[in-house]
Amino acid sequence: MRNLAYLLWFMMIAVNAQSEMSTAEAQALEAKVKATADATETITSNFRQYKHMDFLSNDIESMGRLSFKAPNLVKWEYAKPFAYSVIFKDEVLYINNEGNKSNVDIGSNKLFKQLNQLITNSIKGDLFNTAEFNIDYFTKEGESEVHFAPKDEDFASFIKAFHIIFNGKGEVTEVKMLEPSDDYTRIVFTDRKTNQSLPDAVFAH
Amino acid sequence: MRYLPISLLLLAWACASYPERNNFQSIETSSTSVTNPYFSNQEKDYVYKADIDLYKKTFSGILVLKKLGAQHHRIVFTTEMGNTIFDFSFKGNDFIVNHILADINKKMVINLLRKDFRTLVAENLSVLNTFTSQDGFISETEIDERVHYYHTIDGNLEKIVQTKNRKKKVSFIFSAVNEEVAKNIQILHHNIKLCIKLKAI
Repeated sequence: MRNLAYLLWFMMIAVNAQSEMSTAEAQALEAKVKATADATETITSNFRQYKHMDFLSNDIESMGRLSFKAPNLVKWEYAKPFAYSVIFKDEVLYINNEGNKSNVDIGSNKLFKQLNQLITNSIKGDLFNTAEFNIDYFTKEGESEVHFAPKDEDFASFIKAFHIIFNGKGEVTEVKMLEPSDDYTRIVFTDRKTNQSLPDAVFAH
Repeated sequence: MRYLPISLLLLAWACASYPERNNFQSIETSSTSVTNPYFSNQEKDYVYKADIDLYKKTFSGILVLKKLGAQHHRIVFTTEMGNTIFDFSFKGNDFIVNHILADINKKMVINLLRKDFRTLVAENLSVLNTFTSQDGFISETEIDERVHYYHTIDGNLEKIVQTKNRKKKVSFIFSAVNEEVAKNIQILHHNIKLCIKLKAI
């Protein structure tokens, strides 16, 4: 009986660890994130990526550096365990795969176009578009976590939801992309610097 | 008339089987099976950076292979950012498409991948015939009604050759082998310009 009481106690703690925000709290967070995003000209940050697949013994880890320049220049640069970078520029992906350079025109591919747009916006956290997403707001261990579930069925069959964690300043510290299978990619940002000068050469191919 | 012997010779060569073309010598052996150990450890996640050259296009991503039970493998290909492109299971004789991106959800593509990966993860095969060459031993086996040749040098599986109508169709080349893990794998198609290069990460 005592074990059952402990179990219920732990379950209550687990539930309390993530609680839904009030409408006022959600509105305040949204305003803060938008203000931070609007004031952001550049971002550089290290990232560590964890690809989780339920059937694997360990997550697949990779790491690298992110560069962002408003309005929509993004470079993801993986350094370990492979050298691979991708620059999102207009409707073209510029890929450098261990020295081999190539371009992918994604203008005709709705899915990749959406994905790139969402990744770009998620770096700033600015996905607060109720026409495109069902949005749920939570507080978790002192941070804010927002779940964005795409309404577009085709896109939702690719990515079921983006879970974004914001720090107190309304900056993104973590992005989790969940697939319909519940496997996910979790990207954790560290050493983030905003509005430092970032030459265009960083985004040259 | 002068060309007839040459033509006949060419015809004979064209009809020759893979061992005949390569001058393998048939031998008697007591071994009845050949093993591909490279995806046989259930404790291990096999994770590779994959580069695919298809005609003049190149693609890349991460290929993940996992043995989940006897005759049960899962194979998933994702982008570098982790978005799943395809997700297949081989369970006994069954092949299951768990997920595939709509853009490449085509019968021809799936069949090609199924055949390549079936060969890649097949673990224990019955040997039909055995040959020797200058380099080592060659075991003739059959997977999905296609004749395959397993090249073993100094006890290590170095190459699998899949044939169709007696002709070489796909070569699977394993290199940089360490503790039953092939760090580099090349899947080379001979009838279409397709090459898949895998590098363990």
